[in-house]
Amino acid sequence: MRAPRTTAVGEHPEPRTIGPITQTDIVRFAGAGGDFNPLHHDPARAAAAGFDRPIAMGQFTAGLLAAWLTDTFGVEYLRSLEVRFTAPLFIGDVVELSGHVLEIATPEGAPALATIELAATRSGEPVVKGRATVVITTA
Amino acid sequence: MTESRPETGLVGTVIDTLTLDIECGKIAEFARATHALDPVHRDRAAAGDRGLDAIAATATHVVAAGHQRDPAAVLEVLGLDLTRVVVGSTSWEYSRPVVAGMSLTARRVVLADEMRTGGRSGAMRLITLETTFTEADGDVVVRQREVLIERGTT
Repeated sequence: MRAPRTTAVGEHPEPRTIGPITQTDIVRFAGAGGDFNPLHHDPARAAAAGFDRPIAMGQFTAGLLAAWLTDTFGVEYLRSLEVRFTAPLFIGDVVELSGHVLEIATPEGAPALATIELAATRSGEPVVKGRATVVITTA
Repeated sequence: MTESRPETGLVGTVIDTLTLDIECGKIAEFARATHALDPVHRDRAAAGDRGLDAIAATATHVVAAGHQRDPAAVLEVLGLDLTRVVVGSTSWEYSRPVVAGMSLTARRVVLADEMRTGGRSGAMRLITLETTFTEADGDVVVRQREVLIERGTT
C-alpha cells in the first residue's frame, strides 16, 4: 500500500504538456477506446463537418487529463471524475494538463477527500474542464 | 429565462447491455494512448505494492465498451440527428479500482431526457445516459453518466 498524496488547498501539482497531437495519437486512441467516428481520422469527413482537419475525440483529451490526475494522486484513490467538453482539439495542437486542489473535506471516520479542479488547455484556452474527488493525506 | 421540459417517453429505456472483460493488453493500450505513466497499469508487482489484486485499468478505461457498440443504432433509438449531436460531459463514480480479470456487465439506460428553450444557444435536447458496470456479485464498480446535446434546427 502507498499512502495517499499529502496535499493542501491551493496546491498545483506539476502540469504535463502533450503534443503537438498527431493523427497517429488519435488513431492509437481509436484502437484503444473503439471510437471510429470518421470525423477523427478522415480529412474529407472532417471538412464536411466544418473542420479544416480532423479533431481528437473528447474522450482522448479526457483520457489524457485523467492520466495526469491519476499519475499524480494514484488511480486507487480516485472516487469520481467529471469532464465537460468545451472546444475541439485539432491535429497539431499542444495540450497542457493541469489542476489544483479546490477544497478538502475531512469527514469523521472516513478518509480526507480533496476536490480537484482540472483543465486541459490549448494556448490557455480550455478544451476540457473537469473536477475530481480523490482520497488524500492532509498536510 | 431558461425553461426545461422533460421528455419522459424514453426515460428508463435500456439502450444496450454488454460484457466488458478487463484484460492487461487493453489496459496497456489505453495507458499508452492516454500517456498514463504509472507502472500500476503495466506491472503486476507495482500493482501489488499498491494493494491491488491485479494490474489497474486507467480511470476512463470503461469507455472501451465503445468497441462493442453501434453508434448509429443508439442515435436511432434516441431519435437523434447525428449532425446536431455533441457530447457535453461525462462523469464516472468509482466504488473501487477497475483491475485486470474483472468481468463487468455494462448496462446503459436513459436517465433523463429534456428540452431546454430560451437559453443563449436556442432550443436544445439534453439526454443523460447512465451505464452501470457491475460485477457478477451485483456490486456496481463504476457508474458512468454522459450528457448528449442535440442542438435545435433553428
